[in-house]
Amino acid sequence: MIYVTDGSFEGILTAVFEAFRLKENPDHITLGGDFQLSMDPELREISTDTGKSDRVWRGIQNKISEESLETLYRAYLSEHPRVGLYIYRYIKLGLKLGCKVEGYLQNPDVQAILDLNNRVAAESHLFLGLLRFKKLRSGIFYASYEPDNNITQLITDHFARRLAGQAWIIHDKKRDIFALYNGEEVIFTSGLSDLEHLACEEEYEELWKRYFATIAIESRKNPKLQRSFMPYRYWKNLVEKQP
Amino acid sequence: MKLLDKLQILADSAKYDVSCSSSGSSRSNRPGGVGNASLPGICHSWSDDGRCISLLKILFTNACIYDCKYCINRSSNDIRRASFTPDELCELTIQFYRRNYIEGLFLSSAVIRSPDYTMELMIKALKKLRHEYRFNGYIHLKSIPGTDMRLIHEAGLLADRMSINIELPSTAGLKLLAPQKDPTSILEPMSFVRERIKESRELVLYKKPQSFVPAGQTTQLIVGATQDSDLKILNLTEHLYRRYQLKRVYYSAYVPVNDDQNLPSLNTSPPLLREHRIYQADWLLRFYGFRADELLDEGHPSFDTHLDPKCDWALRHLDQFPVEINKAPMEMLLRVPGIGYRMAARIIRARRVGPLTFEDLKRMRVVLKRARYFITCNGRYSGGVDLDAVLLYPLLSDKANKKVMAGQISMFG
Repeated sequence: MIYVTDGSFEGILTAVFEAFRLKENPDHITLGGDFQLSMDPELREISTDTGKSDRVWRGIQNKISEESLETLYRAYLSEHPRVGLYIYRYIKLGLKLGCKVEGYLQNPDVQAILDLNNRVAAESHLFLGLLRFKKLRSGIFYASYEPDNNITQLITDHFARRLAGQAWIIHDKKRDIFALYNGEEVIFTSGLSDLEHLACEEEYEELWKRYFATIAIESRKNPKLQRSFMPYRYWKNLVEKQP
Repeated sequence: MKLLDKLQILADSAKYDVSCSSSGSSRSNRPGGVGNASLPGICHSWSDDGRCISLLKILFTNACIYDCKYCINRSSNDIRRASFTPDELCELTIQFYRRNYIEGLFLSSAVIRSPDYTMELMIKALKKLRHEYRFNGYIHLKSIPGTDMRLIHEAGLLADRMSINIELPSTAGLKLLAPQKDPTSILEPMSFVRERIKESRELVLYKKPQSFVPAGQTTQLIVGATQDSDLKILNLTEHLYRRYQLKRVYYSAYVPVNDDQNLPSLNTSPPLLREHRIYQADWLLRFYGFRADELLDEGHPSFDTHLDPKCDWALRHLDQFPVEINKAPMEMLLRVPGIGYRMAARIIRARRVGPLTFEDLKRMRVVLKRARYFITCNGRYSGGVDLDAVLLYPLLSDKANKKVMAGQISMFG
């Protein structure tokens, strides 16, 4: 049985609710309608119902743990095609084991959730450092990036605290997600255009590039080590890596 | 002089300092201010040598009255000299920070006129940065040996972290290569800062704390400029952690920048592998419960270049192995080669749910390449080789020409 969801976290939790209610054991829980059909597909359309998803949400909080809820949500942000199924199986196990499920790494589904969670947590930590703002002519600071995981909402709080006194925009170009900060609150939106061309200044970019080139010690050059920390795919949005 | 040139000169002179870490402080932003500090620290880039860039690491000036033989900025060197104005430095820090290039400032300086004069200049710039520019990001300040304690105190109220570099691991080395510095001028401020940090933490109980170097102090030792052995370095390190409660000791493989009869010749390449082994041992001291005298002694004064220090220790203590994964306490798991802190914690968590097999460990991403020879799972040994040092040595040694990852693991700075 394949459960087809709208791809939202609430959608997946609704699917989990339905699986329990119908005493079914789905073979797959999709993120949206785009998925590989098996030979003999039995599909169940899941329409997202926040009443149902809320009950699962609270069930996780009460019967497993707050930490598990956060772990599951971060794993969800990986957008891994099988994450819906892993979430379902983790919850099922968690309702039996309680919070002990978090350490139950012998189980492949728990391991998969923790792997995805780690992947998302690691990338969002990395981008607290790798995100680069440019000053636009309007005075707004604009950062665009293309993360592997959907991490924008995980990193905005950090920048709202840190750069509280400046208006900024964080743009996930891959997913068409914009986080707008006006000095008071963060608003998420989509459908704006790329703002790169409105950038006005070069001076500090030049200074930063010069600093970056100077600080490396020639006789210790180690490009492999550099790439292991800062993967090549991220370089196109890094000022210091532009010619 | 153009700002671009100044930046280049003063960054070039600062680059041999290893520390870049921005951890240990949780200073928060204030209304109208810029920035905060992140407790675990954040790396913002990695330079071409693979070292993390977290702070704008820069000298206030590179015009030095001292003539330390190992140092690029020694007074007798014919190099371009430059100094920042406080405003240039503040503006650079703030503008880099607003663009998220950096986590803060790491300010050091050559000694201009006198230690006190230099320290006063740096304090003035930092005051401007903290109070006029309202900067709440991370500041790491290097103290100048021989500075008055009153100035050290003043500086400590502005900085998140302070350090004073020992550089040469013995008094003899110091005499030979940096005759204008003496050990007390380094150790005295170190114990002063330690005492002030202790005081500022005790005050917390009674009133609003006055934050003094909240991220602690560090130092740096140069490896390979003098004849000092690994044993000597590691003993000093242990002493510094215990006695002075340092947060970190950094090691810097000596890069020859000057020609001198008392120094390795200019075509010597930096001893990166040796530096790497000492870093590994440093971690064993700080996180794995090892003592320096367990790792090295007079009969065994240097690390084996082919074996990491934990493997080296394990091969000399085979009577303590194999370790049963399902029973061993944390302290013993941590002594198994190939099992790190995180893995040990995962194993302990997982075995509460059910016994672990060798296959389970694989699934849990425990790297078994080295660990397999030292463990049993429910009594079963899967090493496939007798526990014998001669047989195990070739299986555990690094491949001869493998490029060593000598970088600091920056997240844990």
